[in-house]
Amino acid sequence: MMRRSKRQTGQTFDWMRLLPFFLFCLAFEVVPILFLMHGSVIDKTTSQFTLQHYLDVNRPLYINSFLNSIKLSGITAIVGVIFGTFIGYAIYRWPSKRVQHILITLSDVTTNFAGAPLAFAFVVILGMNGIITQFLLQYFHYELYPTFSIYSFSGLIVAYIYFQLPLMVLLILPAFAGIKKEWRESAQSLGANTFRFWRYIGIPVLTPSLIAGVTLLFANAFGAYATAYTLVQAKLSIVTLQIGYMIAGEIRKDPGVGMAMAVLSLVIMGLSIGIYQAATIRARRWSKS
Amino acid sequence: MKQPQKPVRETDTKIRPTGWQILCIALFLFYMLLPILSTYVFSVATRWDRTILPEGYTLEFYIRAFQTSYFTITLRNSLILSVATIVVSLIVIVPTVYWVHTRLTGLKPWLDVLMILPFGIPTVVLALALVQVYNFPPIARSPILLIGAVVVYSMPFMYRPVSNALQAIDALTLTEAGQILGANVFQVLSKIIIPNILPGILSGSLLVFSTVFAEYTLTSLIVGASFKTFPLLLVEYTRINGNIAAAFSVVSFTIAWLFSILLLWAGSKGQNASAETIQAR
Repeated sequence: MMRRSKRQTGQTFDWMRLLPFFLFCLAFEVVPILFLMHGSVIDKTTSQFTLQHYLDVNRPLYINSFLNSIKLSGITAIVGVIFGTFIGYAIYRWPSKRVQHILITLSDVTTNFAGAPLAFAFVVILGMNGIITQFLLQYFHYELYPTFSIYSFSGLIVAYIYFQLPLMVLLILPAFAGIKKEWRESAQSLGANTFRFWRYIGIPVLTPSLIAGVTLLFANAFGAYATAYTLVQAKLSIVTLQIGYMIAGEIRKDPGVGMAMAVLSLVIMGLSIGIYQAATIRARRWSKS
Repeated sequence: MKQPQKPVRETDTKIRPTGWQILCIALFLFYMLLPILSTYVFSVATRWDRTILPEGYTLEFYIRAFQTSYFTITLRNSLILSVATIVVSLIVIVPTVYWVHTRLTGLKPWLDVLMILPFGIPTVVLALALVQVYNFPPIARSPILLIGAVVVYSMPFMYRPVSNALQAIDALTLTEAGQILGANVFQVLSKIIIPNILPGILSGSLLVFSTVFAEYTLTSLIVGASFKTFPLLLVEYTRINGNIAAAFSVVSFTIAWLFSILLLWAGSKGQNASAETIQAR
């Protein structure tokens, strides 16, 4: 009996030790998000439940910002997944371990190179007087501007792919490692050619990782802010920039629309991350052992 | 036993990469390196907007960049923010992960969810939520609120390496061994657990440092001009003077590269650093 009670107090003591962490998460993560959800359905003056804020989102500026964000994230995710997979495979099949290691490290570093310095680096090469812009003009007499502009949607695509590509490389490498050599050998000895191997074994095994890649890259681009802020500012409206303006201009009397937009983007992010998690769990089936 | 395998490996390494592989990697390197290398060159070029190669080279823009009134202040603020974030994350995360790993293993899935949650919250949304909730002085728009926000944002980067390190050392057995020998909780933590998971702690801290040092969104939206950090100065100069902005970008890239090298070094002492960054997502 003594023993048991001691154990029980020990357990409550254990729980107490987690308190600082949970309080921290509550204060800076859970409560603010709940507050946001609450605020998005409450009328500030009457304190009554309302869906007005969500209806207010239905204005051309806000709808466009959602469409632009989804388009931008979708395009860069798909381009990132396609090219990232080929580059990942090239790295995976590269004969020298040293080179492999260097390329993986490069991907590791560059995928975190989002934000202002990266945006500026793209202005240096693709700006109005950028290096590539000059090069194309002098050697090919091709004028990049105004068809393309680094300060527009097309420019954002180029800049976003910069951090999407290496992320996909890092994501797909373990998946290639999951395709066992034995499978390939058995497929070959059973008479399958390279096409049939990929069609019936390779691609089905990779599919969960590819889905995980698209959703993770989508979320990665959807939440990005600093790169877009540095490059396009008011010239193009995307969701994160819109929410940013609402915080900066706190004079605005009614933050309800901003909250509604924030909740909607949380839903979009939640969906992508949810699919990503589910796909990753499926992908691990192959990469285990 | 390992002998028969060796010849196979050697023939493997003698295979040359095929044409498409070389093309793929060459294009990849071009895309990844050209913007960065160009920025390095641009920062020492006198003028580079009319010709293919710079017209001349100079260190003038670095001198002017280092002389700007905010340069040292913003570097100092970024340093304060990064170090404070690391200290808070270590205090909040390391003991918690340790207790969940040894005593409350049933809670591990919950902890995993709490730790991955920040990835699902766009930084602007986190900033909006925090600014709305904490709109009263002295917390409103203060560096304290910013540190809280940045700790949440960088939590996955600290959690993964520490959690993996704890998984690798069998923390429970070590704890029990320590307790049998009469050590109290703090002795177990400071003399057994922490020294053993140090590579994980180091990896986590380096990852947090480089993430927070480059952080722009939360800083600009939560505190703004009252606590200006280095990325804020950089963005400001992209609109004032391109050459100086290039010098600042080079500083930023160089710090990122240095920390990646440190991270690799720390990772080689523990687990694979690249594996951790990818798992952190």
